Amino acid sequence: MDKNMQQRANVLQGTLDMLILRTLVYGPAHGREIGKHIQRTTNDFLQMQHGSLYPALHRLEAKGWVVSKWETAPDRNREFKYYRLTEKGRKQLVIEESQWKQMAEAVARVMWPAGEES
Amino acid sequence: MRWWEIRKRDADLQRELDSDLELEMEEQRERGLSPEEARLAALRAFGNPTLIREQSHLAWGLEWLESFLKDVAYGMRSLLRSPALTAVAVLSLGLGIGANTAIFSFLDAILLRNLPVQQPSQLVLLGTGAWSGISDSWAITELHSYPFYRDLQKDNTVFSDTAAVLSMTNPVFGTVDHRDHTEPMKVQLVSGTYFPTLGVCPLMGRLFTDEDDNTEGNHPVAVVSYAWWAGSLFRDPQVLNRKLKLGDTTFDIVGVAPQEFFGTTVGQQPDIWVPMSMIASVPPNWGSYTDKRSESLYVFGRLKPGVSLDQATSNINLVFHQIWLSYRNEHVTQQDLADLQKTQIPLTPMEKGLSGLRREYSQPLKVLISLTGIVLLIACANIANLLLARSTVRVREFAVRQALGAKRSRLIRQLLTESLLLAAAGGALGIVFAGLADRILLHMISGGPDTVPLDVSIHTNVLLFTIAVSVFTALLFGTLPALRATRLELTESLKDGRNANSGSPKTPLANGLIITQVAFSLVLLVGAVLFVHSLINLNEVDTGFNRENTLVINLDPSSIGYKDFEPRLNTLYQQIEQRVAAIHGITSASFAMITFNQGAWTNSVIIPGIDPSLSHNIIQNVVGNDYFKAMQIPLIAGRSFGPQDTSTSQKVTIISESFAKKFFPNTNPIGHHFAIGADQDISQYDMEIIGIAKDVKSQGLKEGRIASDYLPYVQRPRYLHNLVVRYTGDSTMVSSAVQTAIRSIDRTLPITGVSSLDEQVTGSITQQRTVAQLSTFFGLLAVFLSCIGIYGLMSYMVSRRTNEIGIRMALGAERSNVSWLIMREIMLLVAIGVVIGVPVTLAGSRLVTNMLFGIQGADTITLIASVAALLLVGLISGYLPARRASQVDPMIALRYE
Repeated sequence: MDKNMQQRANVLQGTLDMLILRTLVYGPAHGREIGKHIQRTTNDFLQMQHGSLYPALHRLEAKGWVVSKWETAPDRNREFKYYRLTEKGRKQLVIEESQWKQMAEAVARVMWPAGEES
Repeated sequence: MRWWEIRKRDADLQRELDSDLELEMEEQRERGLSPEEARLAALRAFGNPTLIREQSHLAWGLEWLESFLKDVAYGMRSLLRSPALTAVAVLSLGLGIGANTAIFSFLDAILLRNLPVQQPSQLVLLGTGAWSGISDSWAITELHSYPFYRDLQKDNTVFSDTAAVLSMTNPVFGTVDHRDHTEPMKVQLVSGTYFPTLGVCPLMGRLFTDEDDNTEGNHPVAVVSYAWWAGSLFRDPQVLNRKLKLGDTTFDIVGVAPQEFFGTTVGQQPDIWVPMSMIASVPPNWGSYTDKRSESLYVFGRLKPGVSLDQATSNINLVFHQIWLSYRNEHVTQQDLADLQKTQIPLTPMEKGLSGLRREYSQPLKVLISLTGIVLLIACANIANLLLARSTVRVREFAVRQALGAKRSRLIRQLLTESLLLAAAGGALGIVFAGLADRILLHMISGGPDTVPLDVSIHTNVLLFTIAVSVFTALLFGTLPALRATRLELTESLKDGRNANSGSPKTPLANGLIITQVAFSLVLLVGAVLFVHSLINLNEVDTGFNRENTLVINLDPSSIGYKDFEPRLNTLYQQIEQRVAAIHGITSASFAMITFNQGAWTNSVIIPGIDPSLSHNIIQNVVGNDYFKAMQIPLIAGRSFGPQDTSTSQKVTIISESFAKKFFPNTNPIGHHFAIGADQDISQYDMEIIGIAKDVKSQGLKEGRIASDYLPYVQRPRYLHNLVVRYTGDSTMVSSAVQTAIRSIDRTLPITGVSSLDEQVTGSITQQRTVAQLSTFFGLLAVFLSCIGIYGLMSYMVSRRTNEIGIRMALGAERSNVSWLIMREIMLLVAIGVVIGVPVTLAGSRLVTNMLFGIQGADTITLIASVAALLLVGLISGYLPARRASQVDPMIALRYE
């Protein structure tokens, strides 16, 4: 049981792909690194469900936005499955980013119209 | 995705998860936890790897497949745990599905399948495809003459192509290139436009064009069918250099038709096609190229794009009327015009081809498929009952699984998978059964030694049908038990020991199924009795002749150069008759044009003082002098033909009783004269009536009384294909003696068939016999399945109530009381089934009234007999469990369970 009272949310359906793609801009990473990165960057606000992370990675791979390869980790003497962003993935990231922005702005305009105090 | 790819990806995922989990553990250890604690912490942090895998599979869209495969494997195991039940279920399903598939493959071949030609939906036929049409003074609307086909082709505006095909296939004894013997071949005469209109492409060589059909008699070319090329010519690669001799003419083989093309009539496969221009050269020279009144062609066309059937019908009828007006070379009265307007040709879509079989079998097949459908429903009810009984045994299994968190929907899905497995096995078995049944059925409907050439092998359609039926049955018998089995009181079932309700098992569902079975069985049983009764009635019809001890030998003088109407035919016939009649054991022999069920030759006659419009369609037969003796047709008055009737003496005729009653109601017709022919074109042929014969059936047993007359062949030389021989003693001896005698007169004269008059009569009711036999079989099968159902359910009830029975007996119940207790249940179920079944049966029997002969649907006696029979078998199948119940030892029973 999680006794931590901190507010948490599961990653919004549809944004997970974008977050993963964005994470991979820094360079190749394996599944756990990606999950950790997202969790850390959001101060543990976004919980990474492994059950959705791995399927998401495979989905992205199937779409050709990322490629994977088993490689030895620099800090550990073991192989990990590293995911790397493809050119197609970069384009997709741009698309998703702009869509998310539009969405966020649209929501914001309804929720907090200019001139009103929230 | 292939399954091995899935396996590979799954292994890869497993490895990925392992490596990340490993990392998690390492990190936890680095924080100072013990390895074990680290592992648990890592798992907590990481989540359930199996779940992740499942979710990944979900992402791959494979989760259903995986669980389905698991269900299949599990289902297999659980079905094999009760092999007896599985065997019974698969066998009864196999029988049910097999029967359905077999009947459906006939339905498909005869009623549903399109011709293998280009865009068959554009093809339309003039008329309805009947064997013959009623002619009036203008024309027959079903069959047409060659000149009419040519005129219609020229004048119509709705067909892009028009073609004609002779309505009969010529059975010819021809000679293949350099072989020294004749062999039978079926030749079909077609217009040159036949193949182009259909859009059939040759397998080899070429097919006909209109060029092969533009002048009479000088296009000796032939196209052979694939089957004949493969069978009779042994796939000769030089086939296009081969020749065929038919009659006196040698034909060049110019092409081979594609394998799937069997012609345009379902159930007929011509071996050879010859252009219409050669009609006079192909024995037995039916029809004519130039005679406008020689109407024996089916005419069909391909609709121009965008032309509707209605537009085509009006245009074709307009042209039809114009053509016939132009053929009349006499004054046309207003009455004539009115008659002509009444003569309308219906157009029929021809996408499925022509078929006499279709007319004869479409209703029986629909009835039979309904019967097999009911048999299958009964089989389903049985299996549902078996599964219900089994599900009570499996209660604990489900309870455990539900307690462990299996969703109800998951369990239902698994149970349905098991049902699907059963159905699939039943379906596979059904296809095997159907393959066997099709051959038997084909033999049955052929009603003779020659099998109808019908392709009833398992086609795509049939396969789809079987799969659909299997899935449907699985849902049908699987759903209820699955719902029932998974509706659980968990705690109750988990308690080891008895079911809470085992004292009085409530099985309304099972009872309902039994009632349904009984009701359905009654329907099938009554159906069978009706069809059998109808068949018996048909068999008892007085044909007017004696069908016993009579052989009919078929000869074909046309294939050895004899010509129709040639007087030397008579010499041949007389020689044969004399030589055969002299054989020991033969009482009389006579040639005849028609014996029984061989079609009819009809003519119009002109009787002085009778309106000619009343005397159309008189059935005429050309016979030898001893015909009435050989057939044992009694003469009511006058005399038979004799030596005094010669080709030069006064032409004579013997008329039938009905002829006399119709046209000479108040006078003695003997000595009166009448003439053949209603048209000015045909020379009048004056005849004197010398005798009256008793009416006979000629075209079928259901035929009413028809005016007919007989002419002696001496005065009317025609091709006569039948030699009727009445004999005493052994038929095989007589048959071979007759054939020897015929050969001694002319070794080359082909004997095309030997049958008995009795076979001809029984052959004419093949369809009715087939239906009667099949419905009887299905009826018995239904009753048998119901018995299994009743027996199974009762045995189950007895075993469930052993405890209760023990108590009753311990308290002093008599054995007979106990049996009665069980029997009462059965009787009640059967009675309710009968009560429901009777109105259904009555409704159903009304649908088949027109298939019955001499009975008006289900009569009381039939019903009572069927009900009694059902009660009896119900009693028997219930008696065994009841007896077992009464032999329960109370002491054992109380300790039971």
